[in-house]
Amino acid sequence: MNGNSRSWVFKAIFLGLVFAVSVLVIKPVGVSTQFSMIGGMIHSVIDPSVITEDSSRKSGYRSTNAYYDKSEGSLAKSIKNPLNFAMVFLLAIPLGGFIAWTLDPNKRKKTQQEALRQAGVKSAVEKYYIRELAGGFIFVFGARLADGCTSGHMMSGIMQGSVSGFVFAACAFAVAIPVAKSLKKLG
Amino acid sequence: MDLFICLATGTFFGAALYLSDAASPVRMRQMLRLEDYTIFKIILFAIGLSNVLLFVFNMAGILNLSHLSVKTMHLGVIIGGLIFGVGFGMVGSCPGTSFAAIGTNVYKQALMIAVGGIIGALVFSFMYKGFVDMGIFKAMNFGKLTLFKISEKYPSVTEIGYSGLLVMGMIFMAAAWFMPDKRRD
Repeated sequence: MNGNSRSWVFKAIFLGLVFAVSVLVIKPVGVSTQFSMIGGMIHSVIDPSVITEDSSRKSGYRSTNAYYDKSEGSLAKSIKNPLNFAMVFLLAIPLGGFIAWTLDPNKRKKTQQEALRQAGVKSAVEKYYIRELAGGFIFVFGARLADGCTSGHMMSGIMQGSVSGFVFAACAFAVAIPVAKSLKKLG
Repeated sequence: MDLFICLATGTFFGAALYLSDAASPVRMRQMLRLEDYTIFKIILFAIGLSNVLLFVFNMAGILNLSHLSVKTMHLGVIIGGLIFGVGFGMVGSCPGTSFAAIGTNVYKQALMIAVGGIIGALVFSFMYKGFVDMGIFKAMNFGKLTLFKISEKYPSVTEIGYSGLLVMGMIFMAAAWFMPDKRRD
């Protein structure tokens, strides 16, 4: 212990309460499935025939895409009915981020630091946000293959003592730490 | 009513991610480079606390077991986790934190991460059938395995019930409490 302030504990208690209360009132937090829903919505606009109604099924939908069709077409149903729990939860997250940021007394300092960090000559990678695009692509792809991300597997999973949560967290950190270290010069 | 609950939990989740600095890609990259452990401590303590609270809710008889949602262990979790780590380490953000960051000063980066993510999800949807045929979801499949017996629905490694979560949670919280904030060189 090095005498640092204990303010982190209050933040941790708040975060822990959110995990636990959400399983109490509805279900554990999870984020990455909604990326598939948004992708599926775009997909079904471009190709309306990908998801069709099918009253013989419990979900009421059928898809020519095996992923949307999985578990009796449950994802197909969510894609066709976007005002579902998971989607409302997802869209509320930036609202929460915005409220907390607005109320943050240090936001001016943080904004200035960020502006300073981004100042100067920009490389093409920074200018077109190549790192952000590629990183987002890779981690959501990985999260879909694993059927969950940091929220669903690591936080909600380990909260329930799920083996897949521990395995996912170990694999993710085992790669993320050396990758982050090797990209240190990018900032 | 339920939609309102989702709206409220999502809002609190986004605010909590911002407060713990997890919505800042710069701070997350510092954590992943092992230069500053604060975010790691917060998340570890929060998970530990949620373990303990799950035990308390169950003791109090207010935990609805149908709300539990355990994910299946299979080879995809390992391969997907490793792939996830590449993107996680590159940008210092993950699906939840990138959405929280959309509401803050780094919204431009956050939106680009989200766009990349949606394309990633779409590509995965097209490739899913191929992964099924390869047998990725069948290999190393242990079902919805948990460490402790939290519900009759799930197989468990041990026969210990919710008290296992209590002990594990206390260990996580203690580990976070005694962990240094920064690397001491």
